[in-house]
Amino acid sequence: MKPINKLVQQEGAIQDRSIFWDEDIYQKEMEEIFARCWLFLTHESIIPDDGDYQATTMGEDSVVVARQKDGSIKAFVNSCTHRGNAVCFSDGGNAKAFTCPYHGWVFGMDGSLVDVPLEKQAYHNDIDKEALGLKKIRVQSYKGFIFGTFDEGAPSLEDYLGGMGWYLDTFMDAPGGAELIGPPMKSILDCNWKNPTENFIGDGYHVGWAHASALEIAGGPLAHAKGNAEYEGVGLQVTVPEGHGFGVIWEAAAALHAGPVYEAYQKWLDERSPVIKEKMGEHREKFYRGHWDAAIFPNCSFLYGTNTFKMWQPRGPHSIEVFTWTLVEKDMPDELKQMIHTDNMLTFGTAGILESDDGENMEQCTQSNRGYSTRQGTLYLGMGRGMEYQNPELPGLVSDGWINEAPQRGMYRRWAEFMEGKPWSELSTTAQLEQKK
Amino acid sequence: MSTNNQQAGQSVDQSTHFEVERFLVQEARALDEERFNDWLENMLTKDISYQLPTQEVRYRKDSKVLGNSQTTYLYNDNFGMLSMRVARLGTGIVWAEDPRVRNRRIVSNIDAEWADVDGEIEVRSAFILFRSRMQRDQATHYGIRMDRLRKEDGQWKLASRVITLDQRVVLDKNIHCFF
Repeated sequence: MKPINKLVQQEGAIQDRSIFWDEDIYQKEMEEIFARCWLFLTHESIIPDDGDYQATTMGEDSVVVARQKDGSIKAFVNSCTHRGNAVCFSDGGNAKAFTCPYHGWVFGMDGSLVDVPLEKQAYHNDIDKEALGLKKIRVQSYKGFIFGTFDEGAPSLEDYLGGMGWYLDTFMDAPGGAELIGPPMKSILDCNWKNPTENFIGDGYHVGWAHASALEIAGGPLAHAKGNAEYEGVGLQVTVPEGHGFGVIWEAAAALHAGPVYEAYQKWLDERSPVIKEKMGEHREKFYRGHWDAAIFPNCSFLYGTNTFKMWQPRGPHSIEVFTWTLVEKDMPDELKQMIHTDNMLTFGTAGILESDDGENMEQCTQSNRGYSTRQGTLYLGMGRGMEYQNPELPGLVSDGWINEAPQRGMYRRWAEFMEGKPWSELSTTAQLEQKK
Repeated sequence: MSTNNQQAGQSVDQSTHFEVERFLVQEARALDEERFNDWLENMLTKDISYQLPTQEVRYRKDSKVLGNSQTTYLYNDNFGMLSMRVARLGTGIVWAEDPRVRNRRIVSNIDAEWADVDGEIEVRSAFILFRSRMQRDQATHYGIRMDRLRKEDGQWKLASRVITLDQRVVLDKNIHCFF
């Protein structure tokens, strides 16, 4: 493995192709990124009652997130502490306990070991059950979105989101808040997990070309993007030092919906805008009415407006599982939520007309690096370099227009910081950046 | 037109079964051959409901619906949405389908019964769909379909279809193909 400063160069603009292919780099990512970062698990609204749970993964670690009797949420590793077998085999549900199918050890919904068969006869009552609970995961919620981390030394989730939190509040902190509709769809892509993250975090560039056929047919206000129409001034891109970022197209939140869904959603946006402005000010009213492509480092992505919400779960350096939920505001009428949910499947579901455009691109971007000689080269994200600036009223670095590659560069700068194994105290933060204003 | 031999739940007669089987085979062939407009115009009713719900892996004794969970449909299409998908495929700028995806549909285990509406038939069939792309890209999908067939202008047409895929994690980069 080359030194990190050779893998990512020129402020994130140049990436060595090996970071999309090499097994040792991937294992280092598992250690330095996935075992340290806050990773999205599920949404509180999906597990409202005592004993409700969801199974998911953090990196390649199988985990369970469960609602406790006292209303709190806990998460633990889905692997029995006796011989390592999984204790939960479902997607989720409601349970009082998990029983390992191998020898019958029983774990409570908080992961503690509550019963061991033949405890008296075979263990002679000499077993420290307290020490043999399932491995615990630190859990925090940001406005209902539950994240977990394996790193006890990680900062709070709020600090981890850094400057992104202010932007996320646009819809997560709207009256009533936001929620996800599950269960998630699941599919696979034979690509590296970074390919779709960089696509969602800021790749406005591909929209007019890769999705030309869908834009032509779907109609709606985004149809004019087909074939790369001029985009000067119609949007903004944001990158925060914590590695998260997004691009926004102004006045386009509902733009990928068509017909009655567009009308119903636009009506909702028009009615809610004054409330958002009152609560969070003019800027976020503008963000509220815009369409976002966004990512929370490392592997959570969403499109606000189209309202698809995804996790790219790594499965080796060249494969991911894609989990897809629908993002809605809690206070939306049920009928509107249902329409948005159906539209999300039509556009970015596993059978979605835009999703299928992206899949092939993601896979080939990774798979081409199979070639040894190809892999010796680098890749280029230099679009709009040097055009990022600080706006006194907006956290992070912003760039005018929604087609440039500043958020991707920010993501790879963050990737490099983690991969260098820096302690949290030496990682860049929005707070530091703000001091430069 | 209900007669004793068309009671709901009863297997259709041999000649009707033959018609149903011919319809399903010809439909599969039309889709394999990318005759999507033929499929839309001649094989589907205008009020068609076309659905593919996601699988969920749950314990047998646990049927609790969690929180705001809804059935997530990968396809939840009406005739207009299916037409839109077909129109997109016809634009000539669907890069992921060019070179074309070679699809092969196998339909079997056909079980046809008269439905609770006069002259309509409920058909259960098992399917395998092999998808081949580029040089050696392969995906296989399998499951069952619950269809409702109705005769219009002397032709059987598909009035509704609910597809069940057996895989929980769809082992393919997309399922933008018709089942």
